[in-house]
Amino acid sequence: MRLRAILAALLFTGACQGASEEPGTLYGEPLTLDEVTPVSAILDDPDGYLGQRVLVEGMVVAVCEMRGCWMDIAGDREFEKIQIKVDDGVIVFPMTAQGKTALVEGVVEVLELTYEEALEAARHRAEEHGEEFDPTTVTGPETTYRIRGHGAVITD
Amino acid sequence: MGRRAARWRRWNRAIHRDLGYVCVGLTLVYAVSGVAVNHIRDWNPNYRVTVDTFPVPEASRSAVTDSAFPLAVLRAAGLDGPVRGTFRPDSATLEVFLPALTVRVDLDAQVATLARVQERPLLRRANLLHLNEPRGFWTYIADVFALALILLAVTGLFMMKGKYGITGRGAWLTGLGILLPVVILLVLA
Repeated sequence: MRLRAILAALLFTGACQGASEEPGTLYGEPLTLDEVTPVSAILDDPDGYLGQRVLVEGMVVAVCEMRGCWMDIAGDREFEKIQIKVDDGVIVFPMTAQGKTALVEGVVEVLELTYEEALEAARHRAEEHGEEFDPTTVTGPETTYRIRGHGAVITD
Repeated sequence: MGRRAARWRRWNRAIHRDLGYVCVGLTLVYAVSGVAVNHIRDWNPNYRVTVDTFPVPEASRSAVTDSAFPLAVLRAAGLDGPVRGTFRPDSATLEVFLPALTVRVDLDAQVATLARVQERPLLRRANLLHLNEPRGFWTYIADVFALALILLAVTGLFMMKGKYGITGRGAWLTGLGILLPVVILLVLA
C-alpha cells in the first residue's frame, strides 16, 4: 500500500515534468490562425497591425527569468526580435525554451513609457539578468510594440 | 442534548483529523512554494542560473559570418553542441543557444558569458502546482484543497472544550489571527 502511494507520487511528479518540457508544448489557448505574419512586417508597420490578432514564428531568444511572463522571439531579419507578453501566472514560459522555436498567437499592442517608467523598466531588466544597471542607456520616453500572447506552441 | 453534542464533536474531530492527514502533502507544497515565491525579488525560485565568462580570441564582427564560428565559441568554452540556434541582437553580439545553456559573445571585446540554467527540481514542481500552471484538472483539485482548508480551519475552532477552547483562550488567539491582516490592511490603506 505504502509502496503504491510512493509510486503514484513519483508518476505524478513525472507527469508534471512532461507537461512543461515536452516538444510541441502548448502554452495558453490553442492556436486558431494558420497564416504566419513575419515579425519584420509587424516591425515595419506596427501601427498598421495595432490591435490585430497575429500568428508569429521565431526562435525564443530570451525568457523572463523570474515569472516566465514574457519571452522574446527572433525576427526573420537580422538584429530584430519582438516581445511576447502574457499575463503573470496565466501563461508561464520556461527558461529552458531558449533556442527553441515558438509559434505564438496574440494581439499587437503598444507600450508607451515615460522616461521614468523606461528607466524603471531598464533597471528591472538589468536586475533580472543580474547585470549592472547603466541609466545612461535610457535617453527618454520609449515606445515599444509587442504582442499580447494568448497561446503558444514551443517545439525543439 | 449532551449525547447529540458529543456526537457532533466526535464528527468534528474525525473530519479535522482525517482531512488534516489528507491535506499534509498539499499544505507543504503550497507553504514551501509560498515562501519561495514570496522572495522572488531576491532569488529565482524556479531556476539556478550560473554565469561564467571566458575569452574568445577568434571573435570579431567578420568572423561571425562564418557558419563554423559558433562551434569555435563552444570549443573555447570547452563545450560541444548540440547548437539549437544562434541570434544576433546587434552587430557586436552573437548569442548561441544550447539546451539549458546560452553563450553571449561580445565580438568587439572578444569575451563571452556563458549562462547555465538549472531547474530547481522540487521547487519548480511545487511552484508549478502552487501557481496552477497545469490549469484544467488541477484547478479543481486546488479548489477542493482550498475548501478542505476552510473546513480544517472551522473544525479546528471546535476541537477543544473549556478554557483552551473557542470560548476561552481560543477566542483570543482566533481574534488575534483575524486582527493581524485587518490591522496590516488598515496601515497600508
